[in-house]
Amino acid sequence: MLEQKILNIKTQALEDIEKAQSEKELLDLRVKYLGRKSEFNKILKSLKNLSLEEKKKIGPLANSVKKEIDEEIKKAEKIIKSKVDLEKEKIDITAPGKKIKRGHLHPLTIVQNEIENIFVSMGFEIADGPEVETEFYAFDALNIPKDHPARDAWDTFWLKAQTNADDTQTNTDKIQYKSVLLRPHTSPVQVRYMQKNQPPFRIIAPGKCFRHEATDASHEHTFYQFEALVVGDDINAGHFKYIAEEFFSKFFKKKIKVRLRPSFFPFTEPSFEFDINCTVCGGKGCSACQGTGWSEIGGAGMVNQKVFEVSGYPKNKYQGFAWGFGIERLAMIKYKIDDVRLFHGGDLRFIKQF
Amino acid sequence: MKYSYDWLKELSGTKLSPEKLADLLTMRSFEVEEIKKAEGKLNDIILDLDILSNRGHDALSHIGIAREICALENKKFDYDYKELKMPSAKTDKIKVEIQNKELCSRYIGAVMENIEIKESPDWIKSRLAVCGISPINNVVDATNYVMLELGQPTHAFDFRKLANEERTKSECARIIIRKAKKDEKIKLLDESVAELDTDDLVISDNEKALAIAGIKGGLDAEITNETKTIILEAANFNSLSVRKTRIRLGLKTESSDRFEKELDPNLAEEAMARLIEIISETAGGELRSVKDIYPKKVLPWKIKLDLNYLNNLLGEEILDLEALKILKSLGIKPPLNLPLKKGERVLEVEIPTFRIDLRTQEDLIEEVGRIYGYEKIKSQAPIVSIKPAKINDQKIFERTVKNILTSGGFSEIYNYSFYSFKDAELAGLEKVKHLELENPMNPEQALMKISLIPSLLKNIENNLKNYKEFSIFEIGRVYYLSSEILPEEKRMLVGAIVLEEDKKAESFYLAKGCVDNLFLRLGITGHYYDDFKADLEKTFKSLWHKTRSAEIKVGADKKLAGYLGEINPFVLEGFGIHQRVVMFEFDLEELREISEAEREYKPISKFPAIVRDISMIVNEDIRISDVLMNIQASGGNLVLDVDLFDIFENEKEGVKSLAFHIIFGSDKRTLENKEADGLMEKIIADLERELKVKVRK
Repeated sequence: MLEQKILNIKTQALEDIEKAQSEKELLDLRVKYLGRKSEFNKILKSLKNLSLEEKKKIGPLANSVKKEIDEEIKKAEKIIKSKVDLEKEKIDITAPGKKIKRGHLHPLTIVQNEIENIFVSMGFEIADGPEVETEFYAFDALNIPKDHPARDAWDTFWLKAQTNADDTQTNTDKIQYKSVLLRPHTSPVQVRYMQKNQPPFRIIAPGKCFRHEATDASHEHTFYQFEALVVGDDINAGHFKYIAEEFFSKFFKKKIKVRLRPSFFPFTEPSFEFDINCTVCGGKGCSACQGTGWSEIGGAGMVNQKVFEVSGYPKNKYQGFAWGFGIERLAMIKYKIDDVRLFHGGDLRFIKQF
Repeated sequence: MKYSYDWLKELSGTKLSPEKLADLLTMRSFEVEEIKKAEGKLNDIILDLDILSNRGHDALSHIGIAREICALENKKFDYDYKELKMPSAKTDKIKVEIQNKELCSRYIGAVMENIEIKESPDWIKSRLAVCGISPINNVVDATNYVMLELGQPTHAFDFRKLANEERTKSECARIIIRKAKKDEKIKLLDESVAELDTDDLVISDNEKALAIAGIKGGLDAEITNETKTIILEAANFNSLSVRKTRIRLGLKTESSDRFEKELDPNLAEEAMARLIEIISETAGGELRSVKDIYPKKVLPWKIKLDLNYLNNLLGEEILDLEALKILKSLGIKPPLNLPLKKGERVLEVEIPTFRIDLRTQEDLIEEVGRIYGYEKIKSQAPIVSIKPAKINDQKIFERTVKNILTSGGFSEIYNYSFYSFKDAELAGLEKVKHLELENPMNPEQALMKISLIPSLLKNIENNLKNYKEFSIFEIGRVYYLSSEILPEEKRMLVGAIVLEEDKKAESFYLAKGCVDNLFLRLGITGHYYDDFKADLEKTFKSLWHKTRSAEIKVGADKKLAGYLGEINPFVLEGFGIHQRVVMFEFDLEELREISEAEREYKPISKFPAIVRDISMIVNEDIRISDVLMNIQASGGNLVLDVDLFDIFENEKEGVKSLAFHIIFGSDKRTLENKEADGLMEKIIADLERELKVKVRK
């Protein structure tokens, strides 16, 4: 009977120890089970009243139980001590995070990267050319002859002719850069590329361009243009429409329709003006598109056979399309930027938003 | 050009509202930029059309647009030119002499007598007003009316004001079309004086120029209220010549606009007939003489059109009959032997002379396509060969560099490619010859950059108004004179760091860390910083702070990769910056070439390393790199790495204390402590002997 009582105390004690959460609770348990006033202590004290035979039986049991409880409490104390008091650790998780110093890509870089990614995924090569160009590549090769009114569409920066004094050997000063200009469009890259490559091919040529025009909220003399050129045996206007729709849908991440209108560019025939349905209203008409449902984006057309001929291709052997637009225009639509001058303003209050 | 809706409606018979008509024209012909009600009492609508530059010869006229409308509405255009036959008359009142036939392919002169100069009737005045031309008098208004209607500029002179050689016998005007004489001047209708060049074409009498051909009339032969007899002109002048003269004189007129886009010489006849018709009606008078000099008549030409090609290029299936109908509606004549024989796909069509722009079959395909409707063209995926696109290594490299820099806290700036003489001078770059623009926007943007740094300094000055510290960079091209046809373009990278406080060259060491990080991530190893040697031509001596700048070198051949350093405080002062600025500058292409070396894996040592610390006091003129090299040299192969982990400068005593971790190890065996101890003793002895340092023991 006494034996049973001791075992019950052990069971109860071990159960309590396991539940204990703090050192304080364990201390209380020690007092409760092993303290002077504990039931267990009473049992130990009462041992002397027992018969020898019972003493021999109960004594060792009581001692081993006492030892076991003591050890369990110590073990539990160790575990609790090794744990921290989580409540004391509480923080204000609504306080602001520490600012990681990071830089910002220019929005035109971000947009150019996106454009390039989309075209590279469609198997286009990225071509490049000089920003300072000859009159030949910028105009003549593109079927824009000297003194032709068509040139009025490209207000051009020209370099000042220089006498190259380095030419001391011949002792005749060489006049340089007489008809050298800052490229007013990326189209010279077309001819430069075609002179070195045979169709079929598909390329894009993004880059910095210059036009001699006064700067205001929607005009900038320095701008970035993008141009795509696809040439093969039977490339047609429907193919252009497809590539353009694929591109804009991927770029704006929604279904975009392309609309072609008549236009004139000396280097394409037929030529198109192309619009995309307004990205704000989707084509219903809103203030962003002046109620038309369309946004004017750029120019396009089927490559003029004269440009192929200049590039060294036989006349009427190949067909191709070329199209281009201003990267600023796309960035302005995408980010709802209303002043083109911000791009070259160098103001970090602008750049840090991207 | 501004068009009268009422006039277009009358000529074309369209029943479309102005808005519907505008939509149709925009989609098929020319963009309508504005539709607005005419002002005041005028009961008309103005349509402002943006005429494409290759259509100025026919579409800058109401007839031209009416012809488009009829084609678009698929109906016959019945303005009958044939009715406009020039009335015949004796020619004893006028003689015409063309001296430069290549510049004037046709000249029709006519003389009308008993003219009464007065106001034009309302129907003329209101149409001129709608099109933005102020009425003057019935004769001048008639010339403008004909231009707006037919697109052919015409002119009227006062007969009496010409120098008539045979005035005594019977009056006869002599019109000479010639090049201007040297130093010849002409007083124009607006009383300004134009100084002519010997390339300019003029209309003159025996003595003086009466008008600049195709551009503007002179004051001398002006029509006034007293005018009774007039000479009318309808001519064809060379487009390039008109363009050159009007650009040189800065005289852009309604007339020059049309002539410089080239006109059909056959149009002159119709215009003259119409002009005489209107003047007879509004000013009375009768025709006395007509003289028409037209040595080489322009005839219609033929173009072969392949109907298969038409559909192949547009990617559509337009029926042959539809294509032919469209061509016919534009006045293009199909071959007589229609319908086409089976299998026949190429047909030869005749182009009317008023469509100067139609020269190739692609031109015709465009006409068919746009009238058919470009919006009907279906998008279709092209079938192309799978060919991996050539990778543009430059682009990829540039992107990588940009990403590394932005992740290191640098923000990207885009600047113009130009700066001013003053900027170059302030930055100490003026001694290098720059490319100059012939026509800069303003003096601030007159030079092509040879360095990105001046503009970045301006960016820094501006941004310091809003930020106390920041890091920026730009990747862009600079332009150098070269002996080639084109200047040399280099793609440069410049980074800049500005810190709020910089007492101990913190910005320099931060920038140096950024360069190290950039190189590490680009896979460039073994670079080092060498003393900055001011080399006037390449480094622009005064731009960099000479005792706080370094040349960055790489590779066994110690190739110069770029510069790192503070900008010379005198330069900063010039740009209004009163803080230290540290920049680094690289030629991106050269950097890419260096970084192209492949990385190689080095096996991780199986044997533990032993780390020993050493701290010492050195004279301040001893450089860290000297100590590092000394330790490395004295410890030999078993020194795997040496790390500086503490530095303290005691300026008062002119010394600094340095502490390093030295890591010993071998890839063949486990090093014993004894060996490390031995090496440490040798290192300390060498340092004390060679660099006179005091090692703390």
